[in-house]
Amino acid sequence: MAGILIFSEKTKLALELASAASELSAVNPGEIHALCINDPQEAEELSARGLAVYSLESPGLSTADTAGTAAALLALANKLGVDTILLSSDRRGKELAGRVAEAWEAGCLTDVKGFSVQDGQVVFVRNALGGATVATQIIKTDRKLIAFTPRAFAPLEGGGGSILPFELEITAPSVKVLEVRSKAGDVVDIQGAERLVIVGQGVENQADLSFVEQLAKALGAEIACSKPVASDKKWLSEERIVGLSGKICKPEAAIILGVSGQVQFTVGIREAQVIFSINNDENAYMNKISDYILVADLKDALPELAKALA
Amino acid sequence: MNIVVAMKQIPDLQQIRIRNRQPVLDDVPLTFGNIDKNALEAAVQLKEAAGGQVIVVCAGTQELEDTVKEALAAGADEARLVVCDPALESSQSARLIAAAVQQIGAVDLILFGEGSGDNYSSQVSSRVAQILGLPQVGYANNIQVEGSSLRVTRSLEDCEEILEVPLPAVVSVTADINEARIPSVTQILKAGRKPKETWDIGQLGIALPAPGVETISNLAPETERKQVMVKTVADLVKALETEGFGGRG
Amino acid sequence: MNFTLTKEQLLIQKMARDFAQQVIKPAVEQIEKENAVPAEILQGLAELDLFGLAMPEQYGGANAGYESYVLAMEQIARVCTGPAMIISAHSLGLGAISNFGNDEQKDRYMPKSCKGEHIASFAFTEPGTGSDPKQLTTTAVKDGDYYIINGTKRFISNASYPGPLVLFAIESESGKPTGFIVDKLCDGYSVSKPWDKLGWHGGDLVDIYLKDVKVPATNVLGQLGDGYPILQYGIAYGKIGMNSVALGTTLAAYEEAVHYAKEKTHRGQPIAKFQAIQLKIAEIAMLYESSRWMAYRLGFLANKPKSYRDFAKEAALSKVVIGRNAMEAARHAMDIHGSYGLMNDYEIARIYRDAAMGPQVEGVLDMQKIIVAGDILFG
Repeated sequence: MAGILIFSEKTKLALELASAASELSAVNPGEIHALCINDPQEAEELSARGLAVYSLESPGLSTADTAGTAAALLALANKLGVDTILLSSDRRGKELAGRVAEAWEAGCLTDVKGFSVQDGQVVFVRNALGGATVATQIIKTDRKLIAFTPRAFAPLEGGGGSILPFELEITAPSVKVLEVRSKAGDVVDIQGAERLVIVGQGVENQADLSFVEQLAKALGAEIACSKPVASDKKWLSEERIVGLSGKICKPEAAIILGVSGQVQFTVGIREAQVIFSINNDENAYMNKISDYILVADLKDALPELAKALA
Repeated sequence: MNIVVAMKQIPDLQQIRIRNRQPVLDDVPLTFGNIDKNALEAAVQLKEAAGGQVIVVCAGTQELEDTVKEALAAGADEARLVVCDPALESSQSARLIAAAVQQIGAVDLILFGEGSGDNYSSQVSSRVAQILGLPQVGYANNIQVEGSSLRVTRSLEDCEEILEVPLPAVVSVTADINEARIPSVTQILKAGRKPKETWDIGQLGIALPAPGVETISNLAPETERKQVMVKTVADLVKALETEGFGGRG
Repeated sequence: MNFTLTKEQLLIQKMARDFAQQVIKPAVEQIEKENAVPAEILQGLAELDLFGLAMPEQYGGANAGYESYVLAMEQIARVCTGPAMIISAHSLGLGAISNFGNDEQKDRYMPKSCKGEHIASFAFTEPGTGSDPKQLTTTAVKDGDYYIINGTKRFISNASYPGPLVLFAIESESGKPTGFIVDKLCDGYSVSKPWDKLGWHGGDLVDIYLKDVKVPATNVLGQLGDGYPILQYGIAYGKIGMNSVALGTTLAAYEEAVHYAKEKTHRGQPIAKFQAIQLKIAEIAMLYESSRWMAYRLGFLANKPKSYRDFAKEAALSKVVIGRNAMEAARHAMDIHGSYGLMNDYEIARIYRDAAMGPQVEGVLDMQKIIVAGDILFG
């Protein structure tokens, strides 16, 4: 019997997977189930949105132990007889994906942005060659494991689900958690922001960040940056990096200040709805993927723009 | 401590050009992904602290013998090369690396970059851990040896987990774990003389699984942007307002 | 004929480029202002084996060949000429010891120098003489097992760092120019403050004063009374480093020109759109390409010269072309920058000053042409 099992320890991401699952089940009908591990609250929330939840409570199991989590997922998948497992393509989900896929003998794709149906086949879309290209791929095995990028789907809205306990004998985890530290300092979520003001290397003076702040405030936007601004110049935290080595963002509007547009960056912003770019290089690749371009010296344009919007 | 670092031979991404939406890979030099170089550096630092050997395992084209000099110059002691069709799918790469590790024998730690530079599927390290039945930690930004186990910091989006992992284990590292060293002239020249063994898939005694995934197309994304050039900041403000993104002040 | 770099050569080139970019570049402004290269940079270069790159392994060198030396030096000089000049002058002095020294001298002086713990110098020029050995006034008077040396040497590189100095003086018994190895900073050795020069900041030139400097007689380099071949060697081999520095400067001018042409806008478009600018970019590219292959080839020839005379001609010839090309490329790049190029905020100002140095130092261009013509017509 076909069916889909979803898992993410983050409720919001699990709900996104639930949306993806319901879209997929339109092509490949079957029931949708969710696994929650040691998180009754998540189980409650997922069932409240209409999911059939299996709640596994076992103090001996920790999601930090990838092998243990993979074993739990496999046990449930086999018990339910599903043919598809969906994970979120956050770090936890990606680490889990390979292990589950290998054990389950499933074809696996991670970082999947979306899918479509072509000639009855589900075709998945993801970035390749460091973001230079977009690949469309199919999974040929009967069992399929797909990890979807966060925010690729809207969280599921619904109601009237259920919670069933899921019992499992656990072998002691080999990976022991000594301590969990929340990331100090910046806890900004640039992926969640509707509007982003993005600082690139074309902003030459750190003092000009005050104009960026004014601008972001006036627009109700979060501040993000290209990698060198955080990694080399250390002006902003690494949490704010847009691109391949940072976050893939899909804001409604992106105002991009002084970014030349290397693909490692653009892969993180090219799905924004509208892109505004200020750049002193008319030939910058960034301009080709922008909707509105102002070729100007940022030293002058930035204060002027901040003032105009204040 | 014997450490295997799995490195992937990939085209130098900085030098890929796009022509008619197709990536042009001819004449693009082959190298290793940047994060793979961080994994190697982590291995070399662990070796410097705890002794042992660093063995690079990689698969790829005939040019591998040349490509791997970069890793041998940067501190690896030996290399095991598997010459094969370079377009391996994750499940195939994993099978191959796992077989190479088994062939090497006494391996305490297998290190990976968090994702390969080109495909970034991040599956291979976890698959290898599963095949070999080893504990794993992904996204490590710190690794310390403590007796017969490791203390590893796993960096997740919102938190860091400090973990104790018994050896042998599989660990994948993030780019911020270290800054890869610049090899000296002597190390570069010695690289070619370090022990290398080249295997083909038959010699590893495995059959590769059929790929579970098929690529239908791989094209540069189409850009459907307006590309309107505005002349002044005032025009830009107008454009912001027209699109519905005026100030919210 | 094979114009392809080996993997090792590519890696050496990349090594130097990465180091220059990551470590030297952030210090360029400081080096320019203080006219000194920070010790950490010299130590970093030493750790990469750049102080013994082409020297034999037996004496602590990396034995990577002079063409690899050129590849590395080009990348260092591309970012900053000061550290490259230090290595160039060092390699010249050290190369002379390697080539003419006896085993005992090589054992004594080379290992530390190859590791960069010592930095070598080469001192021929005097206030009253350019490249003519007959005009030497520095004297070395035999006194038992020692020589007592007196004189002044002008425009000497690396003179303030400890290490061996290959020095030319008129030896008292033969009455002829002879090479000596002097330990710098010894008794009776002092230096002027650095000359305040146009370019190559960080690569100091000073005058050396030798007052009753006592040197063991065993420190005669090569044959007594026969310093001329050492000088000839120095004149020729010094060009390898000089060429590399000029080549790196040309590359810097090239990259700055392209960068500025794309960045600077005029009436809303980048100046790269104008043909006048395009022609200059093409000129610079041609200058760079012709310099590059000549510089690499001289390195290749230096590994196994058929004869020093032959090599001296090749060296002289390439120095003229590469020095001139650097100057011309910098001029074009300066033109592309317009009046901004005169401002020290722009890198091209420094590049232009650096480019002007090559043709004047270690034998002016006309001197090189005389060597070339002499070999062609009367060789």
